[in-house]
Amino acid sequence: MRFDDSHLDESHLNDQELTLAADGELTPGREALVEAHLEACWTCRARKLELENTVGEFVRARNTDLDPKLPPASGPRALLGARMAELTAAAPGHPWLRWQHLAAACAVAALAVIAVGRWPLMRGPLVAVVSVPNADLTPGATVLESSTQVCAVSTPKNRTVPAPLQRQVFEEYGLSGAEAKAYEVDYLITPALGGADDIHNLWPQSYSSTVWNARVKDSLEDRLRELVCQGRLDLTTAQHDLSADWISAYKKYFHTDRPAEAP
Amino acid sequence: MARASARAGKTSPLEREVVALFDLYRERLLRYLLGFGLPVQDGEEIVQEVFLALFQHLRKGKSRENLRGWVFRVAHNLGLKRRATRGRTETAEAMAEAMIDPAPNPEVQFAEGQEQRRLEAVMQALPEQDQRCLALRAEGLRYREIAEILGMSLGAVSISLSRSLARMTRAIER
Repeated sequence: MRFDDSHLDESHLNDQELTLAADGELTPGREALVEAHLEACWTCRARKLELENTVGEFVRARNTDLDPKLPPASGPRALLGARMAELTAAAPGHPWLRWQHLAAACAVAALAVIAVGRWPLMRGPLVAVVSVPNADLTPGATVLESSTQVCAVSTPKNRTVPAPLQRQVFEEYGLSGAEAKAYEVDYLITPALGGADDIHNLWPQSYSSTVWNARVKDSLEDRLRELVCQGRLDLTTAQHDLSADWISAYKKYFHTDRPAEAP
Repeated sequence: MARASARAGKTSPLEREVVALFDLYRERLLRYLLGFGLPVQDGEEIVQEVFLALFQHLRKGKSRENLRGWVFRVAHNLGLKRRATRGRTETAEAMAEAMIDPAPNPEVQFAEGQEQRRLEAVMQALPEQDQRCLALRAEGLRYREIAEILGMSLGAVSISLSRSLARMTRAIER
């Protein structure tokens, strides 16, 4: 069967039709005509290939640019899960759910195992030693700020710890030279929740990656800040829970025994 | 106590469904929102809002038709709103920050060469609506979905996409 494509033989397809064809967006009747023309016309096929090549280049440039900026999904996924659980619990007609939810949080917190773990934030040598803060050296320290003051900063950023203070922390923990390279000095109570630039609030975190790592702690900090700034959690309680045992705190505030992981 | 702790790990089928959709679309939505010149943190917050809205939407038993289009439409509207409240200065700063080259090694830079630079320059110079169309198409949306999200006609989407592709093709060939 031969299509009546004489008019298509006369004039080449324009970019719009070629793009529609490449995207599979032509109407069925038009599609047959365009296909027939492309079979016959090398010029149009070459142009279609050029446009498709541009699609490839565009997608490559876009992914190269954007993908490294995307943080891992585990923290945001856990946050979404916790928020949906809250909405479910708060739903009218299910008051018992709210109670159970609270009880569950307490139960999880009570059962919390003292776990360990740390920080794959930066690439570093994998060390066997896994650190937890020493409560005597790093009990946590805060600045005198109210929740209003803490929440007034719209997008708090984690400050870098000044180098001399970092050295002090390493010394205090008995880490020196090569050993110290396997660690990063970080805040126990994040400055986003009123944590102080004080040696009592700083500890060396091993870069070793375990389940309970830096990103998990970051998502807990985000969650606590959110609750504090919504007036649903006392700032002092948030600071205490973070410094006493952040892993238990995570389990408590995310209503889970394990951090959410990437699928 | 035991019953209560069992409940802690339990999620409803709807919660699981929304988390599955979140896993499917989070990155695509984030990439799309970064195109608005918003910082990643804002993008993440908007994505959270989108999926909480979706959760509420489905919980009320509302339409399940084309959920992909739905989440992109809500994200698009929230992105516009967020950019308006952020103000031009901050957005411009975020844009400038986003454009800082992460500086791969010199060989890689050389290999990527001028072709990609020209392409990027053309991409950034495209009218905003054209950039949105391209970005949505790149995230896998069909013309009819793009038209609906951006409030354009099907024909306008088609013209916008082919015009952008033609411009970028000229930039690559030059």
